[in-house]
Amino acid sequence: MSETKRWDLRKTDYLERMSGAAPYIRNGKVVAAQDVTKVLEAVIRPFDRVNIEGNNQKQADFLAEALSKCDVKRIHDLHMVQSAVPLAVHLDLFELGIARKLDFAFGGPMAGRVAQFINEGKLELGAIHTYLELFARYFIDLTPRVALVCAYEGDASGNLYTGFNTEDTPAITEATKFRQGIVIAQVNRLVDKVSRVDIPGEWVDMVVESPGPFFLEPLFTRDPAHITDTQVLMAMMAVKGIYQAYGVKSLNHGIGFNTAAIELILPTYGEELGLKGKICTEWALNPHPTLIPAIETGWVRTIHCFGGELGMQRYCEARGDIFFLGPDGTMRSNRAFSQTAGHYAVDMFIGGTLQIDKYGNSSTATANRVAGFGGAPNMGCDAKGRRHCTEAWLKCGEEFVSQGEYLGDMPRGKRLVVQMVETFGEKMAPAFVDKLDAWRLAKNANLRLPPVMIYADDLTHIVTEEGIAYLHKCRGLEERMAAIRGVAGFTEVGLSAKQEETDALRKKGIIRTVEDLGIDVSRANRSLLAARNMYELVEWSGGLYDPPARFRNW
Amino acid sequence: MRKQLNELNFEFRADAPKDFPSEFLHYGVVGSGDMEIIMEKKPLGGAVRVKVLTPVSGFSEVWRRVLGRFVNDTRIGNASIEINDCNATPVVGSLRLRQALSEIE
Amino acid sequence: MSGKWNALQALSFLECNARQRAVGLVDEGSFTELAGPRDRLSSPHLPVLGEAIQFDDGVVTAVGLIGKRPVFVASQEGRFIGGAVGEVGGAKMVNIVRLARQAFDTMSAVKDGLEDARRPAVVISFDTGGVRLHEANAGLLAHAELIDQFQDCKGKVPVIALIGGRVGCFGGMGFVAAAADVLIMSQNGRIGLTGPEVIEEEMGKEEFDASDRALVYRTTGGKHRYIMGDCNVLVADAVAAFRNAVIDALAVPCADIDSRRRIGSLEKVEGQLKLVDLCVRLAPKDSRDVWRYAGNEHPEAVADMSLARFLSSVKRLTDAQGGGTP
Repeated sequence: MSETKRWDLRKTDYLERMSGAAPYIRNGKVVAAQDVTKVLEAVIRPFDRVNIEGNNQKQADFLAEALSKCDVKRIHDLHMVQSAVPLAVHLDLFELGIARKLDFAFGGPMAGRVAQFINEGKLELGAIHTYLELFARYFIDLTPRVALVCAYEGDASGNLYTGFNTEDTPAITEATKFRQGIVIAQVNRLVDKVSRVDIPGEWVDMVVESPGPFFLEPLFTRDPAHITDTQVLMAMMAVKGIYQAYGVKSLNHGIGFNTAAIELILPTYGEELGLKGKICTEWALNPHPTLIPAIETGWVRTIHCFGGELGMQRYCEARGDIFFLGPDGTMRSNRAFSQTAGHYAVDMFIGGTLQIDKYGNSSTATANRVAGFGGAPNMGCDAKGRRHCTEAWLKCGEEFVSQGEYLGDMPRGKRLVVQMVETFGEKMAPAFVDKLDAWRLAKNANLRLPPVMIYADDLTHIVTEEGIAYLHKCRGLEERMAAIRGVAGFTEVGLSAKQEETDALRKKGIIRTVEDLGIDVSRANRSLLAARNMYELVEWSGGLYDPPARFRNW
Repeated sequence: MRKQLNELNFEFRADAPKDFPSEFLHYGVVGSGDMEIIMEKKPLGGAVRVKVLTPVSGFSEVWRRVLGRFVNDTRIGNASIEINDCNATPVVGSLRLRQALSEIE
Repeated sequence: MSGKWNALQALSFLECNARQRAVGLVDEGSFTELAGPRDRLSSPHLPVLGEAIQFDDGVVTAVGLIGKRPVFVASQEGRFIGGAVGEVGGAKMVNIVRLARQAFDTMSAVKDGLEDARRPAVVISFDTGGVRLHEANAGLLAHAELIDQFQDCKGKVPVIALIGGRVGCFGGMGFVAAAADVLIMSQNGRIGLTGPEVIEEEMGKEEFDASDRALVYRTTGGKHRYIMGDCNVLVADAVAAFRNAVIDALAVPCADIDSRRRIGSLEKVEGQLKLVDLCVRLAPKDSRDVWRYAGNEHPEAVADMSLARFLSSVKRLTDAQGGGTP
């Protein structure tokens, strides 16, 4: 006797859950703030996969707090899938037993607690991802059953305006809604008509006006006052030895002071080298305040943003030819698309790191902090699917000596993946090590693999204060290791270098020292920066940039 | 381990050293992660003597290399160098030494 | 040589080190350092505690000229232990003021009725968090001795305080700077007593959020102090701007310089008490409430105003009150 198979179980389940929430939904899709915890208890089931918008910048903090107030007898063992866990409440959920498992991409301030909870058995780690990878899994095996998101504005039909800080919301809501999941949004303001429909109302089940605006972290703001002479020196090296040498037009800058220094010497040092229009024209980048002088002096053609940066909104909206603005005149960021652009459409990724091992694997993991990766692995790798050509990509591919071992005589390009690091970090911690701390973290936190941000086979260049190592020009592991030793300065790794080996690599152009690059060290100081403090950035922007309170010193 | 201000002393001799041209030179500020330098003419038969005061322990070898490389690259001789350090990394040390020298040139 | 002094003039006062500021304040070629790095008068206490030392113990003391006037300069290095005052640095500051006073006595003895334009003057650039805790008592002593010296200088040697560094002027040094004849600040400078972090620690974040730097600058920064009348002159962040303000301040008769003090007479003290009274009546929640009271209709726009716009349009509390520190 054959039973008719049902194909609509998800839909049925959805309707059942929503019926539990129905008493609290008024006036279209609106839920009152005081009812949210009861609503969550009605629509969530134990062991559910739940997303809370813990993006890089914006946080659905009110909904997270409401979830933490749920009765743990009703809501427990949730599987959290979210980009980042920066807020204390994100980890409180595990302490309370409301959450059990975590799949994420970036730890931030809670990284230590994540490691601790893994050790204590309070948190079961699924995996650490890079953002785009996590979004991809939302469509395969990590689809959220319930998504708790945040937006600037919402209306009674559920339409959401996410605007400047759209970030991950489109990817999350599409995956959730189109698998009959439930989407609940906290909004700063309930309005009659949203400024722009970023998420259509049909995708949203409930909207709640939160008591205060959602939390926004200015993650990408760097005060130029803290940029050191050394960072200026390394910026000069990168611009001359890489940006100029390859004609890098499309790129992403990883977070940090090293890249902020590069942004600030484009209008000065870059101008001297006659590079305007030849480099740094197209960007996949968050709105970095330190890029303002370069934008104002005409270096930049276009920037697509992963998210928004607190204080930069008015500036971006006043630079419509550069940023992605909607017909309403306000910006829309989109992490999924920016990351896609960062993977396929840019010629170079450059960023900092904490440690590089003798082989060239690099990681920011320390023994007791599950820092995660953010977007770096996605951009800090060679995109093998890429087919279109640019000068920089082709040149790097031509120089990539080992390519023939895999492709025979078939030519191909290669993305430049650059790591910038001083040989010694804070407290004289060496950046170049025999074995990454990531191994110890793997042991402490029970990870299958040591968490590596950028693997040695993707890394093409290392910039230290000693010089630049052009690793992709090396033939084989031994030569690459020698090149790394040659720029590792007085760390133990560097001290094990043989002078004849380093000299030979210099002759081959695999290592280029500060001298080889023709850089005048006496010029490597802060006076080369187009802006030396936050106030000057504000002046450059004509008063459009509005730095958050913590950055104002006037 | 009790914190202490360590005194490190070194002597170097470059190949074909050139006499240090200035009577007295001072450069730098002992900020966090930084250092100051005094360089003076001193008849040492072509050698350079360096005294470093540093709160960091266990990096004597690194200092020796940084200073040795500076002396070999610049070939200064007959000079006395005194450094007050506050956790400067080798890159900062090299940079300051070179910047100090460029004050004369 | 000439290029260097000229180049200094254009530099940001905030970015300069203590020596650069001191050199740039006095006439070109007249800068003569006393007890400088060459003398290696560093702290005897810090090495015992395993702390780094500086050859000049964080204070540059020098004599130079402004026109015909000998100027005795002290300049604190904010980057060395946050400019905190220790035994040697403190003694240097005290003695440079005493030297100025002795110079006045010597010069007056030679020529009766020493003309104002030739009087020695003292200029101190403050960039400090107050007492160096490693040398607590000695540092405190220096504070007391300095104010003592200022009193000796009253009516004889003008004392001018400059604040434009990254640390500002906090701790007991806030008192010292306030005891000078004329106080010149830039908008980046700050003067106060207890540091912001300590206020937050003692009174809680609700009372004062030290991480809200905009709030900190609204409360202790140059613009606010100018509106309050706590500082006499607000200048741009450039060595030349401070130097010119010093020259202007000294270009008036000595008796008039005295009148610019915050304290030092019964009238001044009564003026301060009136301010306390106003504070109780007004019960301001934020500096902007005071700015509004002083007659500034858009107090929220004040912080971001350019210096030129600020100086031409701002209403000072002293204007609203009538009288006070000009």
